[in-house]
Amino acid sequence: MSSTGVNGSSTQPRLRKGRADAAPNKQVEEVKVHNFAEEEDITIEAVEKVIAPIFFTVLAFLTRMYKIGVSDIVTWDEAHFGKFGSHYLKREFYFDVHPPLGKMLVGLSGFLCGYNGSFEFKSGDHYPPEVNYTFMRVFNATFGALCVPVAYFTAKSLKFSTAATWLVTLMVLCENSYATISRFILLDSMLMLFTFTTFLGLAKFHTYRTKPFTIGWWFWMLFTGFNIGCVTSVKWVGMLTTALVGIYTIQELWEKFGDLKMPFATYMKHWAARIICLIIVPMAIYMLSFKLHFMILENSGPGDAQMSSLFQANLKNSPLTKGPLDVAFGSKVTVKNMGYGGGLLHSHVQTYPEGSEQQQVTCYHHKDTNNDWVFVPVRTDAPYDHEGEIRYVKSGDKVRLIHDMTGRNLHSHNIAAPMTKNEWEVSCYGNDTVGDDKDNWIVEVVKDTHRDKKVHTLTSTLRFRNEPLGCYLRAANVALPQWGFKQIEVACAPDTVVWDRFTHWNIEQHTNDRLPPAEATSYRSPFLRDFVHLNVAMMTSNNALVPDPDKRDDLASRPWQWPVLNVGLRMCGWGNDTVKYYLLGNPIVVWSSTASLGIFALLTFIYICRWKRQYRDMTREQFEYYVYSGLYPALGWALHYFPFILMARVTYVHHYLPALYFAIMTFGFLFDYITSRVFGKLTYILRPVSYVFAYAAVVGVFWLFSPISFGLTGDHEDYSYLNWLSTWTI
Amino acid sequence: MSLATPVRFSTLPCKDKAAIAIITGLAVFVRLYKIWQPSSVVFDEVHFGGFASKYIKGAYFMDVHPPLAKLLITLTGWLSGFDGQFDFKDIGKDYVTAGVPYVAMRLLPGLLGVMVIPLCFLTLKAYGCSRLSASIGALFILFDNALATQSRFILLDSPLIFFTALTAYAWVNFQNQTAFTRHWYWYLFLTGLSLGATVSVKWVGLFTIAWVGVGTLIGLWDLLGDLSVTPGQYAKHFFLRAVFLILVPVLFYLGMFAIHFICLVNPGDGDGFMSSEFQNSLNNKGMADTPANVAVGSHITLRHLNTQGGYLHSHDHLYPGGSQQQQITLYPHKDSNNVWLIENVTESEIDYRETGPRYLKDGDWIRLQHVVTSRRLHSHDIRPSVTEADWQNEASCYGYEGFGGDANDNFRVEIVESKTKPGKAREQVRAIETKFRLIHQMTGCALFSHKVKLPSWGFEQQEVTCAKQGTLPNSIWYIEHNEHPLLDASEDKVNYPKISFWQKFSELQKVMWDTNNGLVASHTWDSRPESWPWLRRGINFWVKDHRQIYLLGNFFTWWLTSLAIVVYSVFVFIVVLRWQRGYKDYYAPAVKDYSWKVGSNVVGWALHYFPFFLMQRQLFLHHYLPALYFAVLAFVVGFDIFCKTVLKRRLLVVVVSSVLVLGSISVYVTMSPLIYGEKWTKDECNRLKVLPHWDFDCNAFYADKSMYENGNSGKSRLEEAIEKASERLSASNSEELHKASETHAGEEEEYVQVYEEHDEL
Repeated sequence: MSSTGVNGSSTQPRLRKGRADAAPNKQVEEVKVHNFAEEEDITIEAVEKVIAPIFFTVLAFLTRMYKIGVSDIVTWDEAHFGKFGSHYLKREFYFDVHPPLGKMLVGLSGFLCGYNGSFEFKSGDHYPPEVNYTFMRVFNATFGALCVPVAYFTAKSLKFSTAATWLVTLMVLCENSYATISRFILLDSMLMLFTFTTFLGLAKFHTYRTKPFTIGWWFWMLFTGFNIGCVTSVKWVGMLTTALVGIYTIQELWEKFGDLKMPFATYMKHWAARIICLIIVPMAIYMLSFKLHFMILENSGPGDAQMSSLFQANLKNSPLTKGPLDVAFGSKVTVKNMGYGGGLLHSHVQTYPEGSEQQQVTCYHHKDTNNDWVFVPVRTDAPYDHEGEIRYVKSGDKVRLIHDMTGRNLHSHNIAAPMTKNEWEVSCYGNDTVGDDKDNWIVEVVKDTHRDKKVHTLTSTLRFRNEPLGCYLRAANVALPQWGFKQIEVACAPDTVVWDRFTHWNIEQHTNDRLPPAEATSYRSPFLRDFVHLNVAMMTSNNALVPDPDKRDDLASRPWQWPVLNVGLRMCGWGNDTVKYYLLGNPIVVWSSTASLGIFALLTFIYICRWKRQYRDMTREQFEYYVYSGLYPALGWALHYFPFILMARVTYVHHYLPALYFAIMTFGFLFDYITSRVFGKLTYILRPVSYVFAYAAVVGVFWLFSPISFGLTGDHEDYSYLNWLSTWTI
Repeated sequence: MSLATPVRFSTLPCKDKAAIAIITGLAVFVRLYKIWQPSSVVFDEVHFGGFASKYIKGAYFMDVHPPLAKLLITLTGWLSGFDGQFDFKDIGKDYVTAGVPYVAMRLLPGLLGVMVIPLCFLTLKAYGCSRLSASIGALFILFDNALATQSRFILLDSPLIFFTALTAYAWVNFQNQTAFTRHWYWYLFLTGLSLGATVSVKWVGLFTIAWVGVGTLIGLWDLLGDLSVTPGQYAKHFFLRAVFLILVPVLFYLGMFAIHFICLVNPGDGDGFMSSEFQNSLNNKGMADTPANVAVGSHITLRHLNTQGGYLHSHDHLYPGGSQQQQITLYPHKDSNNVWLIENVTESEIDYRETGPRYLKDGDWIRLQHVVTSRRLHSHDIRPSVTEADWQNEASCYGYEGFGGDANDNFRVEIVESKTKPGKAREQVRAIETKFRLIHQMTGCALFSHKVKLPSWGFEQQEVTCAKQGTLPNSIWYIEHNEHPLLDASEDKVNYPKISFWQKFSELQKVMWDTNNGLVASHTWDSRPESWPWLRRGINFWVKDHRQIYLLGNFFTWWLTSLAIVVYSVFVFIVVLRWQRGYKDYYAPAVKDYSWKVGSNVVGWALHYFPFFLMQRQLFLHHYLPALYFAVLAFVVGFDIFCKTVLKRRLLVVVVSSVLVLGSISVYVTMSPLIYGEKWTKDECNRLKVLPHWDFDCNAFYADKSMYENGNSGKSRLEEAIEKASERLSASNSEELHKASETHAGEEEEYVQVYEEHDEL
C-alpha cells in the first residue's frame, strides 16, 4: 500500500531502452530466418498439413482399438454406464449424477448393434454372446481416437511450430491413460473429445479476433458454443472448460470496452453474439439432452424416487395411483416433503424421550398406513359431515391434520425440536375433541399448474403454517437418533422463506369416495419443472458422494497424487487368468508436463517482476503469443485441477485426464519456447536433436507401458518391471 | 497509498490530546458502569471463568481457543485472590456468596474495551482524518451496544478486538514511516507482536494476519517498481518484513503455549482429547514401567492407537441387537474389565509354565480371553448394532468358563512396521513399542474402532467392530500393560517415550482444529454470516430477576457502516469501468485517497467477514465484531474525505457530524437496559423491537418500573412461569464443547457405576 513506487513510475518513467530493444531485434532476425525457411519448404509445409493429421489419426485408431475385444469381462465403470445404456433401450427411468448425453450415446451404440438392454452389466461378469460389446467399445474408442487429430489442429491454431505440434500430438497419442480409458464403455472418451474440441474452437476463434463478424468468426464461436453444450451434457466437469471460455470472453469484452473507437452498437453486437453462441446455444443443447432423456425414459424404473410425485405419477406402470384432483375435508392423504430426499409425513405411537414427550412426528420413505392423514376442519368451524355438502380445501383455509392410525392431531408448541434447536418441536397430540388452537394449520398454496385456489393432489406445492405460532412445517433431512428409528426430524420453523424447499409439501396419495377421479390431462408435469428438479437432485446426490472416512478405498485417490503420478488404478480383477488393465499415465508425459507447469509459473513470475522493474522483454506480438498459447493452456490446467482439491466428494485418477491435456499443451509451448532460445548459435542443430530425443522418449515409454493399455495377460508378476514407483500396483 | 504524516501520541496537538482524554473518560464510564451487575455467571463466562479456575488448579483442559486471553483473565483473577474453587458451571450461578473476585476478572476485558477507543482515534488520525472525524469513529466504537456488552464480561472477544485494533494502529503507522528509521522498526515490531497476540487469543487472528499479509504484498510490489530501491535494499526490506511479521508472531504464539503447558501440569477433564504419550506426561497420570516382552499367557491391556477411546473393554452386558452376545467397547479409564489373557491357538494344550515363556511373534494366531467374564474376543458375519455398514462385522465376547473356544475366536497378530519402533519390536510383540493389527481368521476382517459412541445401552462407550475395509490407522492396537507369571522384575521394561514441547504443541493444534470443526450442532442463538451486517438477530446472554442482557449492536452504526461498504463497492466498480473507457478519475487525489484508504479497511472488513461463510461450525453474532471495527474505520475515513471535498463548509460538517453522533448515542441510550441488565418496562421494550427477529424477551420485564422496588411480591404466577422458561433458554446457551464436557462428566458417573457392578463380580 505504500505508494512510493507508483509515484516514482508515473512522474519519472525510466524505460531502460537499451536492454529492452536488444531482445526484440534478435527476435526479428530469428523470425526472418524462419520465414526464409518457410518459403523454401513451402511445398513440404503444404504436404505436412495434409499428411500429418491423416498419419496421426490412423495411428490413433490403431492404438485405441488394437485388441479391443480381447477381454470379455465387464470392466471398471462399464458396470454403471453399460447399465445406464441398457435403461435407454428398455426405456426405464433411472437416476444418475451425470447428465444424459454420454449415456444416451452409449445407449445408441447398443441400439446400433442390436442389443436389447437385457444384460445387467454386473461388475466382473462375462458378456453373453448376444451383447456385441466389441462394437460398443469401438463406438467409444472412436471418440478417444478423434482426440488426437483435434490436438494436432489445436496446436496448429495456437501457432506452435510444426515440431512442437508433432510433439504435442504424439504426447496425446502416446498417453497410456488416454489409450486405456478410451477402450471401454465409459463417458471419459466423450468427455475428453468434447473438452478438446471446445478448446480447439476457442483457439480457432482467437485466430479470428481481428476479423469479427466474418463467417469464420461466427463459425468457430458457434462451434465452441456447441461443444460447450456437449461437454456439459456429458459430465458437469465440462463447466470447468466452460469457465476457461468464459474467462477468455470476459477478457475480450473488457478489452473491447476500452476501445474508445468502437461504436456502442458494434460493442452491443459483440455482447449479443456471445450471449447467443456461448450461453443460449449451450443451454439449448443441455436442455435438449434432458428433453430426449425424459422422452425416451417413459416407463417407471429404479430412479423414480428421486423425482417429484407428479413426475412419478406420469411414468407408465408407476405404483402411484392418480387420486381425485381436488382435496376436500374428509380426504385421506399422504403428504410428501418436496425438498431433496424428502419423505412422507409420518407418525407412530412411540413418544419423544425429551421435550414434550408427546407422540413422534417424522418423515419416512417407506410406505405404510402410518403415513395417512385426514383433513378435518378446525374446532371453531362446523365439524366434518360425511353426508353434507363437499367442502374443498382452498389456499388460506385453516385445517387440522389427523393421523389416521392413532387419531391424534398434528401439533406444535414452543418447545425446541430435538435436533434443530432453533425450531419448534412438532408432535401428535390429543384427539378429535381434546386439543387447542395449536392443532390448527393454515394451508398455503405456493405454486400450482391449476390456477383456481383449491388444493390439488400432486400438482399443488403447499406450505403448512401453524396458526398461533406462525411457524412452518419443515423437514430438512436431519436424522433423529435411534429412539426415532433414524427417521427424518419434522419441526416447525418460526423463521423461514417462501422458497425454502424443505417447507414445501405435496399431496401424493389421495382417497376420497365422494370425489370423482381426476381427468387424464390434470396431472401434466411441465418439462422445466422436472428439468430443474432433476438437476437439483443430481447436484445434491453428487455432493453426497462423500467418502466414509473410516473405510479404506483402494480405488480412490487424492488430487495431489495425480500430477506426480504416484498412483494408478486397477480397472478389473487381478487374477492370472483374466486380461488386466491398469489405468496409469505415460510417466514421461505426466512428469514432464507437470514440471513444465512449475517452470512456466516461475518464468511468468520472473517476467512480471522484470516488467515491474521497467524491463521490456517482449514485443506486443510476443506478449500475445505468450499469453494465448502459453498462459491460457496453463490456466486451463489450473481450472481443471484445483476445483477437485476443494471438492469433498470422492475423486479418482481419471478426473485428471482433461487437466493433463492442458498440461501437455503448456509443455509443448514451453519446450518450443526454451529450445528456440537457450542454445544460442547452436539452435539450428540442438533444437532438432532435442525434439527427436523427446519424440523417442514419449513413444518409447508408451511402447514399454503398452501392455497396461492393451491388456496384461498371464501372471501379473511378469510385469513387475513396470512398477517404477513402489506405489504402483501393476 | 500515501498516508498522512506519522502520528504519535506525543507529537499530537493539544486539542487532539484533549479529545482523546475526554472520549476515553467517557469510555471508562460507558464500559465499566455497574460492571458488578449482574453478580452471577453470564453466557460464556461458564467456559472462560471455568478455564481460569482450571489454570489456577493446574488441571489440564482442552479448549478450541489459544491461551493468551485466558491466561490474562487467570492472572487478574489470581492477583485479586481467586483460589480456583468455583466451577462457573451454570449461567446464573451466584458469585457473591462464593466470594469470587469476578469484578476484577471482568475489569480486564472491560479495560481492554476502553483502550480500543483511543486506539481507534489514533488509527483514524494516522489515516489523515480530522480531529472531528476521528472523534466520530471513536464515539461510534464507544457507543456500540454490542462492543459495550461484550467487553463487560469474562469473554475473549474484548481482548481479541483490542489486539486487532492495536495491529491496525501499528500497521497503519508503519506504512507512514520512512524506511529503516527507528520508528519504522518500532512499528514493524509492534505490528508483528500484536499479530502474535491477536492470533494467540483466537484463531480469528489469522484473518488479521491475512490483512497485514495482503498489505505487505502490495507494499512490496510497489517497492519493486521503485527503481531507486536497489536489489540489496529490496532484499533488506523483504527480509525484515519476514522476520518481524512472520517470525515474531510465530515465536509469540509458541511462547503462549509454552506458558500454557507450564501452567497445566495435573490431569484434568481435557485429558481424554490427548494421546497416551501426552497424558503420561501429566502429574499422577504417568504409569509404572511395564515388562516389554509379551508372551502367551500374559495378562495385558490393549489400547487403540488412532482415537482416544481407550482400552479394549468388555463387561457383563449384552448387545441389544445383532448376535446379542456380550459387548466389546473402548473404555478410557483403568478398570479390571480391560484385562485380557493371551492364549495360543496352535499349541493350546502346551502348558507354558513348564516349557518357559513363549514370546508372541508376528503372524502368531492367538485368542484373547476376557479375564473377568472368561469369555473370548469373537467376531462373526453379523452387522454391528450401530454402524450397520456391509464391510463391518460385529465384535463381541463369547463363551463361558471351561469352554475351549471356537475358530471365530482366532486372531492373527500382524505387526505394522511403519508405526513400530525399529529393531526387535518389529519381529516380536513388545508392550507399547509394537503396533499391530488383529486379523480375524474366518472373515479376514481387522479389529477396528472409530469415533462413534454406543447409545445408552453401551454406556456411551466407543464402538469396536471388525472391519474388512477399515482404514489402517483405525485398525492399529498396542499393548500398554503387560504381566506374566514367568517374567520377573529383571526383565527389560518399557514405558511411553518422553514427549517434547514440539510434539505436545503440534498434537494440541491438531486436536483444537478437529474439535473446532466438530462444533457443528445447531444452537438456539447461533446465526449465519449473511445475517450479521444488517443485524438481523442478537444473542440472549442472561435473564434473571426481570432483568435481561441481550447482545445486539447499535443498529444506527451497523447499518451505516454496512451501507458505507456497499457505497464503496459501487464506487470502485464505476471508477474501474470509467478507467477502462479512458477517464482519468485517478488523477484526482480525493478519488485516489478514497479508493486506497477506504479500500484498505474494506479489505480488512472482507477478510474478517467472508471466511466465515466457508465455516460449517456454529457461528454467533459476536464473530462479526472484528469486521465491524474495520467497517467503522472504512465509514469514517470515507466520511472524512467526503467532508473535505464535498461538504467543505465548516458549519455543514459540524451539523452532519453532530447528527451522526447523536444518532449513535440515542440508539445506545434507549437500548442500554439490555447492556447493563437495568430496569425496563414491557412497553418500552416492545417499542424498540425495530426488526421482528430481535428476540429479546420483553415479557421478562415488569409492566411498570415501580414493581422492581416491590420485589417478588408483584410476581404473578404467569410471570414466574415465563421466567423459568427464559432461564431454561439461557441455560442452553453454553456452546457444544461445554455440553461435551458435561456429558463427559456424566459418563464418568456411569463409568463409576459400571465399575462398581464389576466389583461385585
